[in-house]
This record gives sequence, C-alpha cells and structure tokens, in this order.
Amino acid sequence: MARKRRGRGAVTAADEKYRSRTVAEMIAKHREFAGFQNPARALYQTVRELVENSLDATDTKRILPWIYISIREVPRTGSTNGARPWYVVTVEDNGIGVPRTVLPQAFGRVLYSSKYVIKQTRGMFGLGVKAVTLYAQQTTGSPIEVYSSTEGSQYVYMMKIRIDTSRNTPQVLEVGEWGKKVGWKGTRVSVRIEGDWRRAKSKIIEYVRRTAIIAPYAEIIFETPDGEIYYYPRTTKKMPEPPREAKPHPHGVNLEDLREIVRATPAKTLKEMLITEFQSVGEKSAEEFLSKYGFDPDMNPKELLKRDNEELLVKFVEALSQFKFRSPKSDYLSPLGAEIIREGLKRMFAPEWVEAITRPPRSYKGHPFIVEVGIAYGGAIKPLEEPLLLRYANKIPLLYEEREDVSYKVVKSINWKNYNVDFPAPLIVLVHIASTKVPYKGLGKESISETPELESEIRNAVQEVARKLKVYIARKTREEEAKRKAEALARYIPEVAWSLAMLSKPPEKWSPPKPEEVATFKEKLIDIVASKIKIAGMNDEEVRRIVKEIADSVEVE
Amino acid sequence: MSGGHEPFVDEVDLKARLKAARIMHEKFSPLIKAVLDGKPPKLVIPKRTLANTVFDPERGILSLGEEVLEREFLDLGESRRFMQTLLMAAIIYQSLIENEYPTIRDLYYKGKHTIVYRDMRGRRREENTWDEQKESDSVIQDVEVYTGLFREDMLILSKEKGKVVGNMRIRSGGDVIDLSKLGHGAYAIESTADLIEILDVDAEFVLVVEKDAVFQQLHRAGFWRRYKSILITGSGQPDRATRRFVRRLHDEHGLPVYVITDSDPYGWYIYFVYKVGSINLSYESERLATPKARFLGVQMSDVFGYGSKKPYLSEAERKKFIIKATDRDIKRAKELLKNYPWIYKNRLWKREIELFLKRKVKLEIEAIASKGIRFFAFKYIPEKIETGDWIE
Ligand SMILES: Nc1ncnc2c1ncn2[C@@H]1O[C@H](COP(=O)(O)OP(=O)(O)OP(=O)(O)O)[C@@H](O)[C@H]1O
Ligand SMILES: [Mg+2]
Repeated sequence: MARKRRGRGAVTAADEKYRSRTVAEMIAKHREFAGFQNPARALYQTVRELVENSLDATDTKRILPWIYISIREVPRTGSTNGARPWYVVTVEDNGIGVPRTVLPQAFGRVLYSSKYVIKQTRGMFGLGVKAVTLYAQQTTGSPIEVYSSTEGSQYVYMMKIRIDTSRNTPQVLEVGEWGKKVGWKGTRVSVRIEGDWRRAKSKIIEYVRRTAIIAPYAEIIFETPDGEIYYYPRTTKKMPEPPREAKPHPHGVNLEDLREIVRATPAKTLKEMLITEFQSVGEKSAEEFLSKYGFDPDMNPKELLKRDNEELLVKFVEALSQFKFRSPKSDYLSPLGAEIIREGLKRMFAPEWVEAITRPPRSYKGHPFIVEVGIAYGGAIKPLEEPLLLRYANKIPLLYEEREDVSYKVVKSINWKNYNVDFPAPLIVLVHIASTKVPYKGLGKESISETPELESEIRNAVQEVARKLKVYIARKTREEEAKRKAEALARYIPEVAWSLAMLSKPPEKWSPPKPEEVATFKEKLIDIVASKIKIAGMNDEEVRRIVKEIADSVEVE
Repeated sequence: MSGGHEPFVDEVDLKARLKAARIMHEKFSPLIKAVLDGKPPKLVIPKRTLANTVFDPERGILSLGEEVLEREFLDLGESRRFMQTLLMAAIIYQSLIENEYPTIRDLYYKGKHTIVYRDMRGRRREENTWDEQKESDSVIQDVEVYTGLFREDMLILSKEKGKVVGNMRIRSGGDVIDLSKLGHGAYAIESTADLIEILDVDAEFVLVVEKDAVFQQLHRAGFWRRYKSILITGSGQPDRATRRFVRRLHDEHGLPVYVITDSDPYGWYIYFVYKVGSINLSYESERLATPKARFLGVQMSDVFGYGSKKPYLSEAERKKFIIKATDRDIKRAKELLKNYPWIYKNRLWKREIELFLKRKVKLEIEAIASKGIRFFAFKYIPEKIETGDWIE
C-alpha cells in the first residue's frame, strides 16, 4: 500500500505505523501453514478438517459415527474470472452438535476450540475449520454454512459465517431456525471453495478409505464430483474407549501454561497448587520437590505472577521439568485397541493373517503416548516391493510427507528377511500414535518428527508383531511343503496301485486286476503316504482324509 | 478270412514270455509285500550314470558299477519316477501275459496317461505320466536294470537293422532257415536275438562291416563262399540284436570276429560298441559286447603304410580318396584318446589315433572298395587276416 509522506525530511519512528496482525490475517496470508498451499491440497485439507471435526464430535463422545461427505463441482459466479473450478464440500455427522451460542465463534474465530484440554482428540489447534472458512472467503467470497442441532435441543439452527480477519471475529451473515420434527442431531457444514479435484482425487479417496480402515465402527458415505459413491458400512459396534480429560503433567508445561494455571487456580499455597492442578503429584512428592528447589510450600501462588518474581517463575518451570515425578497417566489417551485395528485391516484388505498390538503408554517430555501397530499379510493384499505403510496419529490418517515420517524410517530400516518376509510381499504395516501432543512436523499434521522415545517405541511395536508374523510364515511354509508333498504323492497313488495290482499276480494264475484288488493297494498307499506327512494343526486322520480326497479325485485319461 | 485254422502259437515266444513274466513277478514281489505290510515302498536300482560305468579290463567290457539308487515313493524328488517305473513294469508285464509284441513306441503310448486331480484348494490339475518318448525310453532302461531282463527278453521289439548271410542254419519261430540260401537277400536279425536257435555253422570267422552297401557288395562278390565266413552288417550304429548275434557266434561257436569300419572317429566308435559296449548303456555290455572283436580296418597304416608295411593305396589313389578331417573329428579323436582306458592303454590304438591326429585325414571303406571290389574282397581282407594285421 502506498503511504502518503507528510512533509519532506527523514522518516522517523513516529511516522511508522505499528499494528499487530491478527492470527486470522496470519493464516489468511500464509495458507501453506494450514495446508492450503494449492487448490488440490486445499480441497484435500478441507475434507480432512471437516471429517476430523465430525469424528471428534462422534466417537470421542461415545456416538457410533455416521458421516456423509460430498464434493460437487459448481459453476463459478460473480465477476470472478478464472480457470479453476469451484466445489461445494459438504460434511454431515450425527455428532453432539454445536450449541447456538458457540456457533459463530467455533466457525468464525481463529484459535477458538473446545479441545484445549489435555486429552487426545484429532483437533488440537482450534484452527482447522477456520482455515477452511478463510480459504472459502478468499477464493469464492462465500461464507461457511453450518446447520447444527444438539441432543436436547428443540431447534435446528443455520448460520452463514465469515471471519473479519482484521479483528479475528465472526460475522454472521444469515441465521435460520427451525423446530425439530424428526430427531435429527448433529452438524452439517457446507463450504464453497476453489479446488482441483483431478489432482486431489486419489489422495482424497485414499484419505477416506484410510479413515474407514481404523473406524470399522463408523458408517461412511462419500460422493465424489465424478458421481461415484464410496460406501463403508459399519462392521462392528465396538468403539475405542473415549479419552478422559486430564490435568497437565509437570514435565509437559511451559512458561505460558504455568502462568495460565497460576492465574486460574483457587489454591492458596504452592504445595496445594501442585497437588490439585497437576497430575502425578502427591503430598509427598510436592514437599520433596519444593524443598529440593528451595520454594516455600506456603507461598501464595499468585505471588509468582508479580513482575518482580518473573525469575522465580522461570526457575519454577525449569524445576518442574527436572524433578522426577511419576510418569504421566495415560487414561486420557484413546488408543484404537488391537481388536479394532485387526477388524479394520481385515475389512479393507481381506488378508490371510492379521495381528495388532497396543503397547503400554510411554512419555516424551511429559506427554504420554501410546504406539499401536497392526500387520496384515497375504490373502487379497497385492505384493509390493516394500511394506505398504499406513500411518495414523490420533486416529487421523497421514498421507503426505511419508518419507519424512518417523514410522517410515523405522519400517524401512527393519530387515524383513529376518521375519521370513521376502519382497515383493503382500505386507501392510499400520502404525498409530496416540498422544495428547503428537510431535507433528507442521500445522498441516502430515508427518511426525523423529522423537527418540517414539522411534524406539515404534520399533519395539513393529518388531513385536513382526515376530508373530515370522512364526506364522514359518509354519505356513512348513505346512505348504507338507501339503505340496501330500499333493505330489497322492496324485500318483492310483497309477501305482493299479501297477502293483497288475504285478502282484503270478503269470500262471493271471487275470486282469479287479477294482477291489486295486482299491486294496490304494488304501494301503494312502495309509503309507499319510503316515509320513505332518501338517501343523491337523491330526493324522485329517491328513489321511486330505490324501484320500486327492487320490480319489484322480481320473486317468 | 476263412476259419478252421488253429490260432497260431509261437512256442518259442511263449516260453520266453513265461520266463520273463516270472522273473518280473518275482522281482516286484518284495515291493508288493512291503506295501501290503504298510511299509514305504522303494526300488533299489543299479545307477545308470556315467559315473557308475566301469571298464572291466579283465573281461574287456563296460559294465555298471556297484552304485545303486534307492527310488522311494515317499521321496518327493523320486516319486514321479517311481510311479513311472512301476507303470512301465506293469504295462510290460501285461503285454507279456496278453501275448502282445509292443515296441518302445507302443509302450510310450500305452502308458501315456493324463492324471487329472483336484489339488488342496480344489483346483483342477493335470499331469501326464510321461510327456516325450525320451522319458518312457529311459524308464524302460530302469525296468531292464531293475529286473535284469533285456527288453528283448520281455518281447519288446524294435526296428531290425542287422543282416546276416553265410554258411549256417538257424531256427527262428519254429522255422529252419538256411542262411546260405537267401539269394541276393539276407536274413534280418530279429529283435529277439536270443530266441534264434543256431543249428549249425560251417565257417572260420565272422566279418562285420559297418555299412550295408559294403555288405551287399561283399555278398554279391561271393566273399563268404570263398572264405568260409559269416557276413554281418549292423547298418551303421549296430542295434542290440546284431551285437548279441555277433557275440553269440563268438561265444557259442568260437569264431573270431573281424570288424571293418570307416577310418575315422565315428567308425572307431562303432567298432568299440561291438567290442566294449556303449558308454551310455553299459548294463547291456554284459551280454552284447564281444571283447575279442578285432579291428581289421580301415587302418591309417593301410593308407600311409607303417614301418615295413606297404600302403594299399598309391600316392595318386590316396590323393583321390582321402578326406580332410573336420574339427569335430579331431576333437572327437582327442576325446577317445583321453577318456577311454581301453583306448589309451592299447599301444596300437594309441598309434592309430595319433597317426590320424598327425595326418588329419580320414578314409571311408568305400575308398578301398572302389579300387575294385575284388581287390577289397580277395586281396585286402584275406591278406590282412592272414598276416594278423588288425588291432584288438
Ligand atoms: N462437526 C462438529 N461437531 C461438533 N463440534 C464441532 C464440529 N466442528 C467443529 N466443532 C467445534 O468447533 C471447534 C473448532 O473447530 P476447529 O476445527 O477450528 O478446531 P479444533 O478441531 O478444535 O482443532 P484443530 O485446529 O486441530 O482442528 C471444535 O473445537 C469443536 O468444538
Ligand atoms: Mg478441527
């Protein structure tokens, strides 16, 4: 912007216009932070943000999810001329809904979230859907349109919302309100944006598919601009245990967090504050901690906020991160559970073998995390040159930046030969990391940093499941060998039996062998062959039955 | 055709069949018993590999060594061959009993079945008992070594290649045949040479010639009448019956055997087949080889002379008849010299081959014959026999 110069002379500090930029302006300017760097990626990111909010509104609230996704191409309108097509993206869910009073903020104010608590949800920044709103108003000039109704409510509300970026406040352009005739509850969000379906297509379809893999308890319908419908029916009613809200762990708080805690706490002493506001801190450990670092246990916490005590506050935070408290609790994590992973992999890939584990909780820098790994092998899986890696963090599929991800590094470094896997092999490895704070590499939540604690835990998990796979493949190889042997020998039994019957009669008393004479030899040979073959998991009788079945199936032409 | 005739019965064949069938039945009895006792069946067969082929210098023949292979039905690598061996034995046995005269080709067809079965996944699969005749021929050899019976003993016929004329009478299939009264023709040596009954022989030696054409020439020239002899040809590489017949004349009637072939590695090899046996089928030598057979010619020294021996060909004739040896001939000759003890340990043979390698030329029998059949029949051959100019 051209700025008018007043007078001649040098420009002084007084001439400079100082003003802070709102976070909304920031996001609008730097779209790539939120994953909207180009039309294809923006379309993908829009679907993601809406779907993840829908899932947060259902499965973390013990609601079996029903999610409808649609992308429609629509004509460009107004004076905007350009080549890029427009799309209306709609995502509907049967979740908890958004109360009327919160609607404008939730969709129109950046950094407004219900998820700023310590528990594992997909959303964590309070940014996702607002980035969509901003992108829509920038590219098509349209507001975001939300219909929502909460469980007990008599009404369905509709609002069209945009964001006043200079003030980071919602502007509600239109409101509607209807009495509920049917029991509908949930949220339906529609947004008109510029996009590139052709380029985004495969990633979006894969995103929905991968979401469905780990949510076999969800019913998902996806309508594409090409008129295709992807339907993933619910195959189980078992859902992961929803996360519980937790207090912060002393290792996990920074200076800002601590200020916030001190400000809000009703505690009258430092000791009381430690016990009531943090997890993993008891009477004893609080006392030990305070005396070790020389804090007065009876000091009023608010004192720490005084300007003069800034140094003390910093010291306090450092001490918190150093002292050996009990490790963080993990019941505010919500792992998928081995059963759901197995079910999901089975449903999507129809493998011959599948196994999954949920590792015990661990922590890094005061943030608890759980690693889960599932491996599927064989069956309908297409053999590839390397394992097909399915990455998830807090139940979100991660599709981009695979090679930068810690899981990729681990899976790649494993010598699969040691586990009897010879590539090309039909092998799928699913890695899920659940944490109250997933160390993403960016706001787009696409890859996870190489945190040592995570890396070693992922390795342990993959190896643990791979060891079971190894046993399975070894057994299968042995079994196949035995089966091959049964087959190879059984098919010759009729010819050999006939030949023996033929040769068994002395020339002086020879007559063509009767069927029952041949049968005697055949049965004997079946006995002999069966007694020499051991197939794991089969008793002698079953083996004999198989050998006989093959021998009986022989027809000589 | 009008009826009333008794069906023709060949008593000789009948006896031979019964004998072979008995042996087969006997040989397979332990195997049959094992199966009925629920024991894994196996065939113990002498190995027919080159490594298990040994030269017995005492008897001067090739034979199979001590090595045996155990062909177990339950051994995946052997089960197919086991099935094939039994199947072949059974068909042969059946043919013997049912008075059939199969050829090896007939046996191939008779035993060539398609085994159709369902595998463990229920898929339909097919496998032939054998695919090519090579496969079934090799199985026949297994049956031969396993039973100790030759295919001829089992009344398996093959194309007749050998011919014989001379002063002798034989009985074949009940008929008496005078081999001196066959006109321009000759008696085709039947596949089952052991079923020929040799009634009487009035001859001093046996002359075996490699080539049928030379045989005819000598026959028409009256060679065997003038020099009381039995004239035989195997028409190139001799079949088993011819070799067996030659052997019998030598063994049963004490006749010396002289062999005339081309003077080249191929001709020498034919001589050695008569004498020692074929390297691939060493198990036959026991009954087919004639270790005392003598190589009469054509020798290198017949062409070039050696020491005091004068050549049979003049300088000009030589130029006309000798042929340059090919690289293959040379290679083959070197192999003979290197690999076979009965050659490199024989001074005269070593000399013969080294002379060949030096001169790098070869000579066909026809070369000498074309100098005039009479020269060949009445000078060359008798003179060499008389002077002992042969290699043994
Ligand atoms: N489909 C929905 N159902 C119920 N509540 C919703 C839905 N979508 C959004 N919300 C509410 O709106 C808030 C803001 O959503 P937004 O996506 O902007 O942030 P977030 O999900 O909290 O974090 P993140 O930036 O990581 O996505 C959520 O915290 C939630 O309370
Ligand atoms: Mg969100």
